[in-house]
Formats: sequence, structure tokens, C-alpha cells
Amino acid sequence: MKKKTKVFAAVIGGTLAGLLMLGQAGAADLKIGIMVPTTGSEATAGKDMENAIKQAVDEINKGGGVLGMKVVTMTGDDGCDPQQATAAASKLVSADVVGVVGGYCSGATLPTLKIYGDAGTPFVIAAANSTKLIDANPGTSFQINSTGFDQVNSAVGLFADKGVKKLAIVHQGDGYSEDLAKLTRDKWTAMGHEVVAYAVVNKGEQDQSSLVTKIKSKAPDAVFWTAYYSDGALLIKQLRQAGFRKLIAVGDGSNSPKLLEIAGRAAEGVYCFSNPTADYLPAAKDFTAAYKARYKQAPDAYGPLAYDGMKLMADAITRAGSTDKAAIVKALKETKDFIGITGAISFTDKNTLAKSNFVVLIAKGGKWVLNK
Amino acid sequence: MSNLDIILQQLANGLILGSFYALVALGYTMVYGIIKLLNFAHGDLYMVGGFVGFLILSAISGLLGESWGAILCSMVFSMLAVGLLGVIIQRIAYVPMLQAPRLSILITALAVSMILSNGVMAVTDGEYLAFSTDLSYDGLDLGNVFISYTQLALVIAACLLMVILYLFVHKTLYGKAMRAIAIDQDACRLMGINVNRIIALTFFIGSSLAGAAGVMAGVYYGSLHFSMGFVIGLKAFTAAVIGGIGSIPGAMLGGQVLGLLEAFGTQIPFVGSEWKDVFSFGLLILLLIFKPTGLLGKTEIERM
Amino acid sequence: MITTSAREKTGWLGWLQSQRNRMIVLMVLAAVAMVIPLVANNYMLEVLTNAWFYTVLCLGLNIVVGYAGLLDLGYAAFFAVGAYTTGILTSQFGVNFWLTIPVAVACSMLAGLIIGGPTLRLRSDYLAIVTLGFGEIVRIIARNLEITGGASGLIGIDRPSFFGIELSRGIHFYYVFLLLAILACFVSYRLQHSRLGRAWQYVREDEDAAEAMGIGRVAVKLYAYVIGAMFGGVAGCFFAVKMTAISPETFTFTQSVLILLGVVLGGMGKIPGVVIGAFALVLFPEVFRGLGSMRMLIFGIVMLIIMLYRPEGIWPQSKS
Repeated sequence: MKKKTKVFAAVIGGTLAGLLMLGQAGAADLKIGIMVPTTGSEATAGKDMENAIKQAVDEINKGGGVLGMKVVTMTGDDGCDPQQATAAASKLVSADVVGVVGGYCSGATLPTLKIYGDAGTPFVIAAANSTKLIDANPGTSFQINSTGFDQVNSAVGLFADKGVKKLAIVHQGDGYSEDLAKLTRDKWTAMGHEVVAYAVVNKGEQDQSSLVTKIKSKAPDAVFWTAYYSDGALLIKQLRQAGFRKLIAVGDGSNSPKLLEIAGRAAEGVYCFSNPTADYLPAAKDFTAAYKARYKQAPDAYGPLAYDGMKLMADAITRAGSTDKAAIVKALKETKDFIGITGAISFTDKNTLAKSNFVVLIAKGGKWVLNK
Repeated sequence: MSNLDIILQQLANGLILGSFYALVALGYTMVYGIIKLLNFAHGDLYMVGGFVGFLILSAISGLLGESWGAILCSMVFSMLAVGLLGVIIQRIAYVPMLQAPRLSILITALAVSMILSNGVMAVTDGEYLAFSTDLSYDGLDLGNVFISYTQLALVIAACLLMVILYLFVHKTLYGKAMRAIAIDQDACRLMGINVNRIIALTFFIGSSLAGAAGVMAGVYYGSLHFSMGFVIGLKAFTAAVIGGIGSIPGAMLGGQVLGLLEAFGTQIPFVGSEWKDVFSFGLLILLLIFKPTGLLGKTEIERM
Repeated sequence: MITTSAREKTGWLGWLQSQRNRMIVLMVLAAVAMVIPLVANNYMLEVLTNAWFYTVLCLGLNIVVGYAGLLDLGYAAFFAVGAYTTGILTSQFGVNFWLTIPVAVACSMLAGLIIGGPTLRLRSDYLAIVTLGFGEIVRIIARNLEITGGASGLIGIDRPSFFGIELSRGIHFYYVFLLLAILACFVSYRLQHSRLGRAWQYVREDEDAAEAMGIGRVAVKLYAYVIGAMFGGVAGCFFAVKMTAISPETFTFTQSVLILLGVVLGGMGKIPGVVIGAFALVLFPEVFRGLGSMRMLIFGIVMLIIMLYRPEGIWPQSKS
């Protein structure tokens, strides 16, 4: 019986201790929230963004901070999951952060927009770029990554250039890749061309041979994979093994060296639409060097955007001249050609990036290089 | 491609995929046949098999090069390792539970599955591993139907394993003991059969087959991930049920039937590939309701 | 456990045996839960709201798993049916939120009937797989249909208003889910001690004997399924309006396993245990952020240990 009592007491004690820990929030000068997934399936990308933001913060603090205040950060882990994301957003809002930078998974970012909107907190979305975010934006969020629309324009542009007539589109049945696939299909058919196959690969399914046969039988001039690298690599490999020799292109979710590693020589000549990553940005040289020195690894795809997001936030606060949230939102909205390492940032009236920064890459010799 | 070409190519696709399903389904069916345990962790053993094979192959590729010999060697070691893992799991998690209510033992199996997949996730940091072997893309080109040598080798290996298993179960004393335990454990004990050892042997064989399938999948598809056991585990279970769970030829047949269904399912007009899994699971549910004994299973009167 | 209840109760656990004293403890706990929002910040409120939300789900699954002893690996499906019914009706047909609740409850009960009706005669391990398959089918259907918003799901679900107050702030939803949780506890308690509750216990312990005593086992199990589905449906309705956006990714197999974990951790069948299990589920990742990626591994190990050493749960149900 004693044992039971102890166990029970431990449970109660643990719960209380937990609640106390939840309530802790240190006082700080200028607190900026970082919302990224630091756990879960997308933790690698999230941590990379967190690193890049912290690097930006250090640089800002070395330069005297913002409005004479030292910038400190607080991370809310959204776990790439809508439920965890709302908890993370509430955590940041209740810790009275002046602004938030981050947002990787569109699905997880979506429900947080309202929370930041209700609190009036400015939110710079560095990576998430589903077009659904545009409609759900209450006006306090700003997307500095090009949206799905921009990517579609890059994609159909390339296909048209290469003389593609019949297109096959494959996605993975998640919000991001379905969105991109649908937009591409609509645009492509609106241009008077034909989409001969529009298919879904179930996540985690390794064998795609039957789908490959089906695609081959429709004889498309190009296959466009709109989802992530892991399953994309398998599709590319199986398409090439089955003797498909025509053009293959992949969306920005597949921009990873892992795709080339998994698909091996099958990936040679595959096109990829990508956000500006550190490797292809002349302005990002110093960033990359500093990042490598500090974290002993190369920055991932969204590091530069996250870094720019933080710098933009600091710039907006300086321009606003106060930590008043409404003033910062106004300053962000008025951003005119803010020069970051990813290019110039200005916003449309829907708070999306005014000028697309998408680039086209091609796989050559086991590496992604800029397509000339 | 003409319609005939498509049919022939999908037939080939289905049989190749079916061989994988059949190999994994065999483990389910053997364990279920002998101790009526639904081993949820079986799909994860397949995943572990892939990773072990990868480790061994990277270790010995310096000695043997990335040849077929090295792959075969890593497959054998991976089968041994995963077989042992299966026995350890059985000892730690399932032996103490044999007399427990069915609900408890099912939850135990689920817990083991979670530990395996999340354990591998912790070790690999949730990353995808590229299993690059650089096998050639050459193959048999029969008009418009194409089967690569890799695919051919995999199917032959799977068939060989199944034939060996069949002979083992039907021609050896151990196999006879296995079949006897499936019918009546207590009677076997009275006859002087070491029941625990035979059950452990069953786990060993079933798990090592999953391990072999894992290595083959790694070599063929070229990537490994901690969650790759989930989908195939479900599919293989479906295959086992189609063939009649508990029946070894049933699992082989069930695997091929499911593979063919999936391959030809993709060709059904107006219904996209996004509905594929609904068909597989729907078929599973319908089968369990209307013909739970499957194609080759025997009717049995079952207490819950 | 018979041995435990035979032993003499001492200390404050013995004190807890009396009905009156239990009520006092419950009242104190309820009072604490009611006043917490006065001292908590938004984050604490959000986390606690989530904990109450999982309490409702776990109590619902507890009826199926704990009371009737059936393993359900697709419970998220019922939760999905509730959430999508409300989401579709409010966002696409402009129906008032409160009117969607009965529809959602009816739909989730119907889903319980559809899946339970033909399958409950099956062996329990077959049932586990069938429910798993059913859960996946529901998720895939939600992902593929146009009306459910496809893979992106539904966004912009309106917040409901309650006598002129729009339920939008964290504190509103805290009380909404607290009330739902209390209601769920109450209903569970009454069910456990009803004729039906005793019938579940008999069926769980010995199906054949129960059948011999004139309990229709299939009917009794079906009740468990349908009532459990109802809990999930109601929780889903409020989940949809709280999140304002729902997508198929929320209703995966992992979600079903998480809910099951709450039930198992808390000792299947025991209401306070299940509540603690639900809290453990939600608070653990928040408190131990550093262990975040190991969360499911640790839960798995704990679950295995519980099954091996306390197969009846940490806090086993005392038997009459």
C-alpha cells in the first residue's frame, strides 16, 4: 500500500512541477519568438532554421541590438503538427514576444496565424509557402518565401521551354504537394496543353512499379513530382529503371542532396525548382562561412530565408521605432526592397513576396547545380 | 505500349511486389499459426533487417566490393541477426504474456513495434539512409516488357527461401513438431516435445525471413527509413489473411494475389491511385467478415 | 485485483474508500480546475485545454478498451468523423455550430455501427486489424474527397458563439473542454455502474459464461463501440472549431495509438487513471522538450513494462 501512495504522490508531484515549469518565463529585453519544428519528422529542417535565426540574432546584438535593446529568442516547437503548433504559438504569445519568425510546415503554420492575429503579433513566415496560408492570413503574417503560384510559373515555364506537350503530375497526398500539383495541372491545361496522368503515391510506399508502368503507357514528355525527396527518389529511380528517358522535374520539397544519394545515377539530369539556398546565392557566402564555423555543418535549404526573416524583423522594429506590435506590422507592410541574402524583399497587398526568388536547378554529377 | 504489353508488364510488377509481401506474410502466418499471436512488430523486423543489412554491407564492401556476393553475405548475416532479435523479443515480451488476456498481449505487441521503430528513429535521427549499391539497370527486354536482372534475382531468392521453408516444415522433425504444436500445445508437451524451443525456432525463422525481405528491399529500392515497416506490415498481414492465416502456402499465394491486385488496381479507369489503399484495406475487412479462413486456411472453431 | 482489495486499506488511500471522502477530493480537484485560468497564462491554458481534450478522447476509447475489453486501433476515425461533420456543415453550408453537434454525434455513432456491426463477431486480434484498416480508410477518404478539402483539409471554420459571446479566446475553450471532460467522467462513471457496465465486465472476463447467462455479447459490444464513437464525435466537433482548420494528417494511426496509450498508461477501465494517462500524454512532451523525439520510444517502453508487470494497468480496477 505504501508503494502505491508513493507512486500516486510522485504522479501528483510531477504534474505540479510540470505546471510550474510551464509557467516559467524569464524577463528579457527584446524577445523574439522562433516557431519551427525541433522535434518530429521535420526536426532537421527546423533546427537548421533555428540555428540560422540565432546566428542573425548574434550578429544583431554585436551591432548594438535593436533600438538599444539586446535581442533574445524563445523557441516554440511546432513539431510539424497542427495541435502542437497551436500550443507553441500560444506559448510564444503568452511570453509576450514582440514578433515571431519561423514557420516550416504549412499545415502546422496554418492554425497559428489566427493566434498571432488575435494577439496582433507580427509573424514573418520564412519557409511555409502553401497558397492556403494566403487566405488564412489575418494581416499580421508575412511570407518571405515565394508561394506555390511562383513555383508553378517557374515549372510551366521550364516545361514550355523544353517543348513538353504531354505532362504527368505525381503528388503524395499531403497538403503541400497536392496544392502544387493542382495549381500546375490547372495552369498547364489553361495554357492549352495536356495532363495525361495525375496520380498519387502513398507516403512510405516503396514499390511504385505499377504506377510507373501506367505513366509510361501514357507516353508523357515530362513527369513532375511535386512532393518530398524521400519518395521522389524512389519514383525517379523506378522510372529510369523502367526505361523512361524523358524529362523529370521535382518541386522544392525534393531539393535535397539525399534525393541524389538515394536515386543514384538515375537522378542525373533531373530538374528541381528551388528556393534560394545558400549554395546558389552569391550574397550568402559570409552567412555560409559563419554558419559552418559555428555549427560545424552546412546550412540546409531554409537557413538563408530564416536568417533573412530575423534580419527583416529587426529592421522593421527599428523602422517602427518602438516595440508596439501594430507599429511593427505596419513597418513590415511598408518594407521596400529590404536587401537580404536571398534577394530583395517587398510585399504584395496580401503580404506575400512581391518578386519570386525561385531558381531552377539541375542534377549534374551527383550534385545540384544552377540550370543555365 | 499496347494493352497486352501493359498487362504483361503489370503482371511482372505484381509478381515482384507479391514476392516481398509473401516473404513478410510468412512470418506473420507462422507465428500466428503456432501461438495465435498477431505480431505487430513483424513489419518493424523487416525494417530492422534493412538497416542491419546496410550496416553489414558498408562494413564488408571494402573486402568484397559491392558485388552480388557481398549482398548475399549481408543478407545471410542480417537474417541471423533479425532472427535472433525475434527470439529475444519473444523471450522478453511474449513468453510472460502467453497466459494473459488477448487484449494485453496485443498491446504488448504494439508496444514492441513502437519500441523498434522509434528506437531506430532515435539512432538514425529520423533520416533517410541511401542504400546505394549501384546495381546495373540491365535486364530482360521482352518487347515492351522489361524486367531488370535485379528484379529477377530478387524473385528467385524469394522463391528459393520459400521452397526451403516449405521443405523444412514438411520434411524435417522440427517442422513436424511445429505443425503439431499448432494443433495442440499441451499434447505436444506430454509427448516430450520441447514446446518453448520450437516456438522460439518459429520466431527465429519468421523473423529472419522478414530480415531477408528487408535487405532485398533496401538493395532494390535504395532507401531505408524507420517507418518503412508500417505499410508493408499491414500489407503483408492482409496477404496472410487472404491466403488463410496460419497456412504457409496460403501466405505465398496471398502475397502474390495482393501484389497482382495492387498492380492491376492502378490500371482501373476513373479511379486514381489515391484509392489503392482503400481497396487493399477494404478487401481485408470484407475477407475477415465473410471468409476469415482465407483461400487456403482451414475452418476452425475459435474461442475468443 | 482480488489480493489488493482483500488487504486492509490504510492511510489516505483507505480514507479514499469512503464515498463521501471521494466526493470531497473530487470537489477540491474540480474547484482547482475551475480557478486555474485565473492564474495561468495562455500557454498553460492551451496545454491544459489540450489535456482535457485528450481526457475526453481517452475516456471514450476507455469504454471500448477498458470496459468492453476490445482493442480498437482506429479510434481517430470517430474523432475525424465528428470534426469533419462540423467542419463541412459550418464552413460549406453555413449551419450554426451548435446544430452540427447532434448531426456529428449521429454520424460518428453511425460509423461505430458500420464498423462494429459486422466485425464484432470476429476474434479480438482480427478486430484490432479491422479497426486499424477502418481508421486508415476514413483518413484516406477524407484526403481524397473534394468536400473534405482534400489533403489540405478545411480551413476557416468559424468560431461558435455562446449567448452572444464568441468563443475565441484560450480561456473559453479551456472551460468548454473542462466541461466536456467532466461530462465524460460523469457519463463514464454512470455507465460503469449500470447494467450495461456490468455486462461489459462479464463479457470482458469470460465471454462464453456471459453468453450463457443471457447477455447478448455482440449487442453489448456494439453498445460499447457506439458510445465510444459518440465521445470521439463530440470531441471532434469542438476540436474543429477550436483549431479552425482540420486536415487528414491529424487523424493518422499515430493519433489512434496516442489515445490508446492514454488509456493503457492510466490503467484500462479506471476513470481517474485514464484522466491521469491523458494528462501524462499531453504534459510529457511539453515538460521534457529535450526528449521530444524520444517521446514515442519512452511511451513504448513504459507501455511494455506496464503490460509485463501490471497487465491490468498501473491502477487496476478493483473487482466486486
